[in-house]
Amino acid sequence: MPIDIYWRIGTHGDQRSLRRRVASRGDFDPGVPGAITPGVRGGRGDGYSHLDHMADVARASELSGFVGGLLPSFPFTDDPWAAAASLARETTTYRFMIAYQPGFLHPVQAARMSASLQRATGGRVVYNVISGGGGPAQLWWGDKVDHDDRYARTSEFLDVLKGVWDGGPFDYEGRFYRVEGAGLPGPLAGQPFPEIYFSGSSPAAIRAAGRHADYYLSWLEPFDALAGKFGQVREHSAELGRAPRFAVRIDVLARETEEEAWEEIRRGWRHVDPAQLRGPAESGDSVGWLRSSSFVDWPVTDFRELEAAPNVWGGFHLLRGGPAFGLVGSYAQVAARLDELIGLGVDAFILAGVPHLEEAYRVGERVLPLLRGHDLRVNDLPSGGQRDRAASPGSSLASIPVPRGNA
Amino acid sequence: MTAGPVRFLVTLPSRGDGTRGDWGPPPAAPPSFVTDLRPGAYGPFDHLAQAGRAAEIVGFHGALAPYDPGGEESLVVTAGLLRASRWLRGVAGLHPAAATPVYAAKVSASLQRFSAGRLDWRLAVDLDPSVARAQGDFVEGADRYARADEFLTIAKGVWGEESYTYEGRFFQVLAGGFQAPLGSSAFPRVQLTGTSPDALELSARHADLHVFDHEDDRDGGLDALIAGLTERAAEQGRTVEYGLTLPVLAREDTAEAADEAARRAAAGAPPAALTGSYEDVAGALRGLAARGVTTFVLEAAPHIEETYRLGEHLLPLLDAPDTTREHAHAD
Repeated sequence: MPIDIYWRIGTHGDQRSLRRRVASRGDFDPGVPGAITPGVRGGRGDGYSHLDHMADVARASELSGFVGGLLPSFPFTDDPWAAAASLARETTTYRFMIAYQPGFLHPVQAARMSASLQRATGGRVVYNVISGGGGPAQLWWGDKVDHDDRYARTSEFLDVLKGVWDGGPFDYEGRFYRVEGAGLPGPLAGQPFPEIYFSGSSPAAIRAAGRHADYYLSWLEPFDALAGKFGQVREHSAELGRAPRFAVRIDVLARETEEEAWEEIRRGWRHVDPAQLRGPAESGDSVGWLRSSSFVDWPVTDFRELEAAPNVWGGFHLLRGGPAFGLVGSYAQVAARLDELIGLGVDAFILAGVPHLEEAYRVGERVLPLLRGHDLRVNDLPSGGQRDRAASPGSSLASIPVPRGNA
Repeated sequence: MTAGPVRFLVTLPSRGDGTRGDWGPPPAAPPSFVTDLRPGAYGPFDHLAQAGRAAEIVGFHGALAPYDPGGEESLVVTAGLLRASRWLRGVAGLHPAAATPVYAAKVSASLQRFSAGRLDWRLAVDLDPSVARAQGDFVEGADRYARADEFLTIAKGVWGEESYTYEGRFFQVLAGGFQAPLGSSAFPRVQLTGTSPDALELSARHADLHVFDHEDDRDGGLDALIAGLTERAAEQGRTVEYGLTLPVLAREDTAEAADEAARRAAAGAPPAALTGSYEDVAGALRGLAARGVTTFVLEAAPHIEETYRLGEHLLPLLDAPDTTREHAHAD
């Protein structure tokens, strides 16, 4: 089974680097000097929007070897459906992994949007089904359904969506949804059904995932914790006669050498608010978030204290918005850690790095070619403290002199 | 009433156009000894995209992607249309049961940001009951208008305020509302339709543009409808503009238009509401404009050719600001 590797798109702007937590790409932090999309020319807006930068990241991702990208959805972000439908015709192979919460669209409407988007893209839609982090954010969206019921609703939602997909007529009467004589019309019916990446760390999530997930998606955690979680999902899925694949969402900070990678973290660390080092604040009813913060002994003083396992660093949320854990190390180390995860049964990755445009090229060109996948023998792995031994591959082009222009 | 500038919208073909798109019978293919590079290279959205581009190039004010449960999904169509145009407004058909108002507003806020504020909404409220049930909507009668009112109230509420709470019969939101920059664009201009008292009352409260159908003007009924809605809107302290949906068939002269109408009638195509020379049709539109119509939603097939025809021959005869824009081209 091939490994699918995606690259995230920031739907909330992007930072120039991890060194300063300022989004100068997109208009989410107003008044930042040097901000682009929109930029300013001659005192006036240049007519570009954040979507134009997102388009660059999408094209960089497809050109540097990723199969597509995750478009996240939060109260403060641009919307993934809007972005995917806008960029459908200016990408070629890029798969749009659309994050959405089932409660906010009716499943028949979601089916119609998905089928039209499949037709606009030639079948490049992928779902990241999220069932909500709860708390004030859930009420912000106008959703009062509580945690376990949200997963029950997700399950019904996907039953209806799949029920109408091939044209119907489909009847359904559930706790949350009811349809009568439903089905997609003519040419919309029977498009390839989007692969489902299913998120959620609670027992209710794992039960729902067992029924519907093609890929069970988790944030990165220390590998033993992750392996345990996968084991639970495997067990629940087996009871339902299903065998989901596994995907991990990982931030990557990879450099030529390990020292360079940590130096980049150190530069960002100088600007972290000390109040944040006491420990993470409570937020909603997300079990994933609680798990994530339990792998570190808070409070911390030095950034290396957040290295929960070799190269597995839990402080990314302090340097940019998003989950805590990611990989920090040399190209070879990061590739080796990804190989280890493949060895644990991971079939897909959603990688990310700041800034997303440049890091797509870096990771695509320098890390992905080092992956060995299932061929790997565990004792070949470079250890966390070891120096990068990867040599750059030779090139016959190196012997051709570079033209210097006219004399 | 003095006629002001008028605007023209086209209706996009959400179910293909004859043999174009994959909704009808496939087009006749050339014999196999003729090189044909098309198979596999083009999809259904290539036709829709060109229909939108035609409207953009010839100077229409906007294009309507109707809410059509039997056709292509309108938000997806509108997003593509806006991305591929610079001037055109994209009117997306929406139904209040299809999404929560917060989510519909959220998707729309992004489309506004991506298009420099060129998104409009056309809210479909009154669906055939069996079509509604197939969309999962079992709300009937006057409740549909009450729900549409809540939908628009909440969508505007979260767009305009950073902390917004509303507890309704159909929807709710607690301390919702968009942070900058999401709500910084204008709220989409709202188009509504219908002639029932409920429909007119909803428009009085929420519509920027109320679009009547040409059939509503049988026996001159349009004047009373416009006067009635104007009065209802005034009670709300608002004003509403008026539009009219109008299938047209216009040709160089009256006789040529009549010939084409006869040919279409023989082929079983529905008749146009207005048939005549470009001057005839322009004259009729001027008459409607003098009665208070500012926006004409034209329907003409085949879409691409007729959009070019109307843009080049009909629009210049009327005072349409979108066709008199200055072109900055370097010779």
